[in-house]
Amino acid sequence: MNQKTWPKTNADVCIRCANCMAVCPVSRVTPLFPGPKHAGPGAERFRKPGDPSVDKWIDLCIGCHLCDLACSSGVPISELNLMAKAKYLDEKGRPLRDWLLTHTYLFSRMASFLSIITNFLLMNRMVKWLADHLLDIDKRRELPAYQSPTFRQWFREHPPKGERKVAYFYGCYINTNEVEVGKAMVQVLEANGFEVFLPPQECCGLPMLGNGDFKGAREMGLKNVPSLLETIRSGTEMIYSSTSCGHMIRHEYNRLLNIPGSEEVAEHLFDLFEFLKNLNEKGDLKVQFIELPIKVAYFAPCHLRSLGIGLPALEILRLIPRLEIENIEADCCGLGGTFGFKREKYEISQEIGKDLKEAIDKLKPDVVLTDCEGCRMQIRHLTGLNVLHPIQILRKALKEPAG
Amino acid sequence: MHYDLIVIGMGLSGLMAAKTAAEMGKKVLIIGKGLGTLSIFSNTIDLLGTIPPTMKMKDGLSQWVHDHPEHPYGKVGLEKIEEALSSFNSFFPPPYTFQSKNDANSLVPTGAGTFRLTYLIPSTMMKGINLKEKKTLIIGFEGYKDFYARRLADLLNCRGITLSLSENPQTEMTAAALARRMEKPSLRDFIGAEVKKEIRDEELIGFPAVLGVNDPMGVRKDIEKKIGASIFEIPGLPPSIPGMRIFNRFKAKLIQKGGNFLSGYSVSKAIPRKNHFEKIEVFHPPVTNSYSADHFILATGRFIGGGLLADRERIVEPLFNLPVSYIGSQEEWFGKSFFAQHSIHGYGILTDASLRPIDENGKPIFENVWVAGTILSGHHCVNEKSREGIEITTGYWTARNAMKL
Amino acid sequence: MNLKTEVLIIGGGATGVGIARDLSLRGIPSLLIEKGDFLSGASGRNHGLFHSGARYVVSDPEAARECITENRILRKIVPHCIEETDGLFVSLPEDDLDFRDRFIQACQEITIPAHLLSRDETLSLEPELHPDLLSSVKVPDGAIDPFELVLGNAKDAEDHGAKFLLHTEITSLLLEGNRIKSVLAKDLVGGDEYSIETSYLINATGAWADHFLKRIGLRIGVALSKGSMLITNQRFTQRVINRCRPPSDGDIIVPNHTVSILGTTSVRSEEVEQFEITPEEITLLIKETSRMIPAIEGCRFIRAYAGIRPLFQSGEKGDDRAISRGFALIDHGKRDGIKNLITITGGKLVTYRLMAEKTSDLLCQKMGVDVSCTTHIKPLPGAEKSSGLKNRLAAIGQEETLCDCELVQKAEVEAVLKEGKLKNLQDILHRTRLAKGTCQGAFCVYRLLGVLHDLGMVKVDSNKVLKGFLEERWKGIRPVLWGSALKEEELIEGIYKGIFNL
Repeated sequence: MNQKTWPKTNADVCIRCANCMAVCPVSRVTPLFPGPKHAGPGAERFRKPGDPSVDKWIDLCIGCHLCDLACSSGVPISELNLMAKAKYLDEKGRPLRDWLLTHTYLFSRMASFLSIITNFLLMNRMVKWLADHLLDIDKRRELPAYQSPTFRQWFREHPPKGERKVAYFYGCYINTNEVEVGKAMVQVLEANGFEVFLPPQECCGLPMLGNGDFKGAREMGLKNVPSLLETIRSGTEMIYSSTSCGHMIRHEYNRLLNIPGSEEVAEHLFDLFEFLKNLNEKGDLKVQFIELPIKVAYFAPCHLRSLGIGLPALEILRLIPRLEIENIEADCCGLGGTFGFKREKYEISQEIGKDLKEAIDKLKPDVVLTDCEGCRMQIRHLTGLNVLHPIQILRKALKEPAG
Repeated sequence: MHYDLIVIGMGLSGLMAAKTAAEMGKKVLIIGKGLGTLSIFSNTIDLLGTIPPTMKMKDGLSQWVHDHPEHPYGKVGLEKIEEALSSFNSFFPPPYTFQSKNDANSLVPTGAGTFRLTYLIPSTMMKGINLKEKKTLIIGFEGYKDFYARRLADLLNCRGITLSLSENPQTEMTAAALARRMEKPSLRDFIGAEVKKEIRDEELIGFPAVLGVNDPMGVRKDIEKKIGASIFEIPGLPPSIPGMRIFNRFKAKLIQKGGNFLSGYSVSKAIPRKNHFEKIEVFHPPVTNSYSADHFILATGRFIGGGLLADRERIVEPLFNLPVSYIGSQEEWFGKSFFAQHSIHGYGILTDASLRPIDENGKPIFENVWVAGTILSGHHCVNEKSREGIEITTGYWTARNAMKL
Repeated sequence: MNLKTEVLIIGGGATGVGIARDLSLRGIPSLLIEKGDFLSGASGRNHGLFHSGARYVVSDPEAARECITENRILRKIVPHCIEETDGLFVSLPEDDLDFRDRFIQACQEITIPAHLLSRDETLSLEPELHPDLLSSVKVPDGAIDPFELVLGNAKDAEDHGAKFLLHTEITSLLLEGNRIKSVLAKDLVGGDEYSIETSYLINATGAWADHFLKRIGLRIGVALSKGSMLITNQRFTQRVINRCRPPSDGDIIVPNHTVSILGTTSVRSEEVEQFEITPEEITLLIKETSRMIPAIEGCRFIRAYAGIRPLFQSGEKGDDRAISRGFALIDHGKRDGIKNLITITGGKLVTYRLMAEKTSDLLCQKMGVDVSCTTHIKPLPGAEKSSGLKNRLAAIGQEETLCDCELVQKAEVEAVLKEGKLKNLQDILHRTRLAKGTCQGAFCVYRLLGVLHDLGMVKVDSNKVLKGFLEERWKGIRPVLWGSALKEEELIEGIYKGIFNL
């Protein structure tokens, strides 16, 4: 059958079944966002080239990709939305706040170095009030604390050990705000005989992309891919622990941003738990686990669902004896990266998160686990519970190596 | 990654197959896009709508199986049909259960003011079968544009009112938004108070099928308490919230049972080796992941999900390239009238009694491929009202067969 | 019921309604009778091309001249019915460039602005065009909305004293000597019977001209030519696309709101009412138009339909396309001795106003009245309104929409309903953009019926109406059911036959 003659364009493929409307977390909580059916393939039929954008509501799309997964016909709805968002913001102009939120990588090392001052300011009521009124960064949102030394700095002092090499794309947040996750990563991999290597890397660019800044995101990709490519070509596979960074590099670099070489990188880039699962399949996951009689609730981040690799963390965690694991039956946490920091979107973000909170409350776990730092921030904000990356539990369950 | 069974298709037939295999202790991967047609069509469980309510389903079905050996039911057989339904029901313990009235079909009211015959009815819809005998009040919501109480009332000869839920009457509300709000006490308090004001001597109150996704019985119980009358749901235009409840239940339980759930992506290629399939590939640009299994169940549905594709001349099954039992071309596949039974709906994949696809000589084409769901040939599930029944029974039967080997 | 009128117009197409308006502006009241809704004939079944006349500039320069003159006039008087898209006459490698040069020259001779564009210029304007094209010629074609046009004319005519009886069919014509005295008519919906006495009768029935004249034993020889069209789900180009060659089948693609309309064919027909598009015509249309826009091969179609063109032969035979598309105004006094009967037929949508003007002039002459036409300078009310796709898009989220595909708001529909005089569902659909999008009314008509009940406006079994609608809809969808359209239809059948058990 000649697949070339099948409908190619998205507007043609949408059959108006409204599956997407049933899963969209934003249109579920606010009528201000008309929903994926209208915002995506519906509006496409009305957008004429040359007409100015009138999609005032388009930046309410949180970019969770749940509509894409639910679509029976394969319309890449969130992609249509993102491109419309980019056009709208290009024409309307982007506020300073958006630039700040998407360029934190420029300040993060300094913020980490001066972490005591930084953290004081980020928690200070006056500063938060000013940020709210001058920049529209909602003062109710807890801003993440910076840590010192950074992960990279810690790693520099860390003696390498292991036979096979594996490269790690750690991402901005692990580097300056959640160093423990990076440490846990390294320790678990080393326990499996891998030497971790950190290729030169910059912010993956997802915050920019999510804010419709294709140009900025592409620049980050063009900076990252050559060094990642060099690593790959030297025969080293690469892992990420942040599903958001992973999704960006693995799919968006190629599909949306057309970065040369990104396809090759994607073929050798794995989610941490996907990597461990592959090892396990081959019988190479050689760790003994201690018993861990606690109850954990696992939350699958939107980007993980969109990666299309299933829920590998659940599979690995199930190897830990006596660990009680529940998969949280809820979708999007509501933070949406920079989305939930914005004053005009904070309440929508929290309303979406309410459903997740209710689901967690029902389970009453000791710890909540999730692979995305954004989700971790949001779940802490919603529940006050201890929220970790699953790798941290895995490290906890490691039997101490002899000697 | 290697599995005992890979189920391709995220609809009710795929979900049943995955459930069946997981409960047999097998390592299962279910992979598919969307939510099948659960979130579109499924509100109740249709088994065979040609059996009149005066006949016991078992008797009617037994006759049908005898008379229609080419029909999926003819292949599965009465005993397995009953087993499959029982298995389906095990996922729905009280209070939200699927039951029949006296083991026969019943007439339930629809959102178009008509009635349809169906077999297993969820608890939230059951009381609707008494609509004709009891005085009924139908409630609609301003801004929820897929349900019109006044039209239903005019057609069903009862009363209908439309409640206004917000200060701005122009605000649209989707089914998902309304169902979510139903799970909050504040909306239920409001509805309770308003309906109590309006109710006269009605004993039954009909709502659109949006009484919450997660806890429909809790929602219903609370509203019933507040109004002081029995309430029931009426199915309408998609999306189907009751269908989503079924999907969510299957998903949660399958993951709990250790099943691997890869939702959101279609299988792009299936790789054969002689008469045996080895693995499937999933292409999520630019990455291709492959999965291998001992057995594969194709449960990709008909045209909506792309299980079958048609141009003006041919109908094909794009994944395993299984022969599709069609004749003629596009001009002949459809009747002149919209309401005719179109021949295209009877076309599908021909199989043997164990639901393995067969060639023109009746021989199974592949050792390890099985076919479940509406993609099968020999049925007209829309006209017959047999969609969910075919999905449940063939999903169950293919997994039983595949995993026994 | 007995009625009396000076002028009786038969036929509610663009011409008949145009005459009613023209006469009303001259202070001559008329009564117009139409057996269906407005635009039941060719006026409502064409591809909506707002002609510049370029299409006929080589084969029929007179018709072309008429077109460009009217084109300019209509831009001033009904701008809100027209999308000024411009048109491109595209030359593909197999096309004769000599023809193109003659074409440009002929345009210039009758003052149709025509600019030659290079391949690159053409492709940068319309990237969906075939990359192998050689060049194109830009002309002032556009897209016109016949419904807005005719309904607008009707409203203005009514405001100036004209009266309309829709869904009313003539049952007999009564002559007295050499004049038509009266007609008998019946309201097909309500059942009322009318006896209408008239001084003059204008036969503006278009393709039905001979059908009508047969009642009094007359015939003028109208050839019926079926033209078929396909509607795509998306709008492929911003401009009208023509093939730069002698007019032939499948050589035009007209953008229309959110879709493109592909046309057309020319098949001699004996039937004025029972006709449909054939699979061969569909194959031809796809084949020819995809030469200009490759993506059409494999794209999704949402509807197929046909219309019957009246072509006036005046005694000559030959290929339908050779018959002039100019119009024919027949004074039956001169021709047949019936002094108070005029027939107007033929023509194109874009020359409706001219046809109405000439007819009204002839009528005035017969009446001995000396009032001039003003329709070429008086704009239709509503001419100040701005419309456009982006306005509909901008209103999402602010107002409740009934039609998700075409973004038709509930308030808009309620306004149309409250105007009253609507006799059936199709009347409502003609006056809004409901049911014109991707799902062809599958969702919005259900909602519309709900709204009608809410307004207490339904006196019949609305499920009968719904079923009737689904059957009517099926006629346009069945011929194009493959690919994505088939998925859509599985959805629709599952809803109406499955969930709703209609």
